[in-house]
Amino acid sequence: MFRILRGVGGERAFRGATISALVLLGLFFTGIVISMLAYTEWDTFLAALISEEILFAIRLSVITATISAVISILIAIPVAYAISRASFHGKDIVDSLLDLPIVISPVALGAALLVFFNTPLGAAIDDNVVKFVFSVPGIVLAQITVISALAIRLLKSTFDSIDPRYEQVARTLGCSKPEAFFRVSLPLARDGLIAATILTWARAVGEFGATVTLAGATAMKTETLPTAIFLSLATADVGKAIAVIFVLVIIAVAALLVIRKIIGRRYQL
Amino acid sequence: MIEVKDLSLRLGEFHLRDIDLTINDGEYFVILGPTGAGKTVLLECLAGLHRIRQGRIYQDGSDVTRLTPEERNLGYVPQDYVLFPFLNVLRNIAFGLGPVRRHRDEIMTRVNELAELVGVAHLLERQTRTLSGGEKQRVALARALAPSPRVLLLDEPLGALDLRTAKYLRLELRRIHRELGLTTVHITHDLMEALEMADRVAVVQDGRVEQVAGPEEMLFSPEGEGVADFIGAPNILDCDYCRELGQGLMEVGCGDLKLTVPHEGGAIRKVAILPRHIYVSETRPPGLSVNGFEGNVTAITHVGNTAKIWIDVGATALMAEIPSYLFAEMSLAAGQEVFIILRMRRIRCYEGHN
Repeated sequence: MFRILRGVGGERAFRGATISALVLLGLFFTGIVISMLAYTEWDTFLAALISEEILFAIRLSVITATISAVISILIAIPVAYAISRASFHGKDIVDSLLDLPIVISPVALGAALLVFFNTPLGAAIDDNVVKFVFSVPGIVLAQITVISALAIRLLKSTFDSIDPRYEQVARTLGCSKPEAFFRVSLPLARDGLIAATILTWARAVGEFGATVTLAGATAMKTETLPTAIFLSLATADVGKAIAVIFVLVIIAVAALLVIRKIIGRRYQL
Repeated sequence: MIEVKDLSLRLGEFHLRDIDLTINDGEYFVILGPTGAGKTVLLECLAGLHRIRQGRIYQDGSDVTRLTPEERNLGYVPQDYVLFPFLNVLRNIAFGLGPVRRHRDEIMTRVNELAELVGVAHLLERQTRTLSGGEKQRVALARALAPSPRVLLLDEPLGALDLRTAKYLRLELRRIHRELGLTTVHITHDLMEALEMADRVAVVQDGRVEQVAGPEEMLFSPEGEGVADFIGAPNILDCDYCRELGQGLMEVGCGDLKLTVPHEGGAIRKVAILPRHIYVSETRPPGLSVNGFEGNVTAITHVGNTAKIWIDVGATALMAEIPSYLFAEMSLAAGQEVFIILRMRRIRCYEGHN
């Protein structure tokens, strides 16, 4: 059937089809933005933006996401390196299992965590070590559960792209294995590390499902930015919701711009 | 001194079988073999990059089989140099000398000394990606030499370079070897490179060491068909007399051929020239030609992309080889008269013992 599309005409038709898909998608998102702008009353928007509640949500989101991203990356570096370099039995299975948190709904992960803290062991930890359920540490734990798999996935592909021979050469130059890792592989992974940190951080800022399940949605207590949208809509305060959406969009755009910049000046080998 | 005893290793498609080698102190040792023979794997074994389950490696009498690369004190230059892209030339060379912040002056002195030795003193501040192939090779060499290794391992050091650079670096490598007196193991698939550079050559084929010998001995008496095939059946001529011409040249008489050869030292008993180093022409080459002769084509065969041409010069039979595409442009046939030149610099001489 594609035979009739041979030649310049086919080329044009194909380009037309692909570009119209792009235009349709563009119109869809433009429509959303326009409807939001149309809905906004700028006075209430600005008032909402600097309201105590939103500022609290911004601060809480930034702090918890930063802690979560740092912890996730610190865990992901050795794990990703191990999966990338080591060969052991069942490596493929471990590799696929690590994708599960990316695929599974965050609400399910949050619910699973909640169930864990209802077991005797979980309850003991919750009562005696750190209080996770319906509290701020719960936000961090929920975010880490969701984003660490993403961090591992990103860092694994970074380590995969580094030729192991750099380390081999470093070792013939007198480096021990750990020294070779810190002096060669880590600097080579630098761009990947920065990009992975930013992406996981942005993902943590946007995390809602697991957070709200484990930490709850208490205003001014466990209210992150996505939770703030949820609470505003629940109380029919659309202006406030739009203000928060605006903040989230700015964070996302900034994150992507920084990553573009980093990848743009990647080493040419 | 490095000794390899009964080393066997299977690594993917490569298989080293019962390798036995002794590499003497200060020697320029070349491992010669076709692509895929296992040369690189063997070199990596010497460097400690593979876990060895069968066989032993000794360095200066002590067993290093289980030692990690950093415990062996070896300089290793991999085939594609593997310079660290996040460091400039200076810091690449200084890598094996420890953190630059400590002992800054000593490290700088050492780096400058090495940069001078390999000829990259003007490149120290450059980023490695801006270097040419030959420059990268020199930097990798300086980096490997920096920690004063006991042995230098070079994996196809000239393989990726253009012909001119490679030729120049050959001389440079020999010079550096002479200046440092460093035991050097050099891998190549290029026969002429091996013959010109080596004190001794090990021919490796299909994961086995087929022959270890001086270049002359290997050329004049290859052991086994595999080695002879790889070397490509040189024309070997017995010499009746020889006479010094001065300036490093000698005249030798071999049957009907009176040859001028570069040689200093004792009397020459035999000379060898590879078939591909005999120039064949239907017309008399213009000008004065050293080692030029007239002969008769007796037979022509085709093997792969080359034409083998047997030529009688008087009663002496020679075999020349030319690429098929050149052969196609000529109209050679058996019985025809041709002009040949035995390229002087390519003739190898053998003093022999008996």
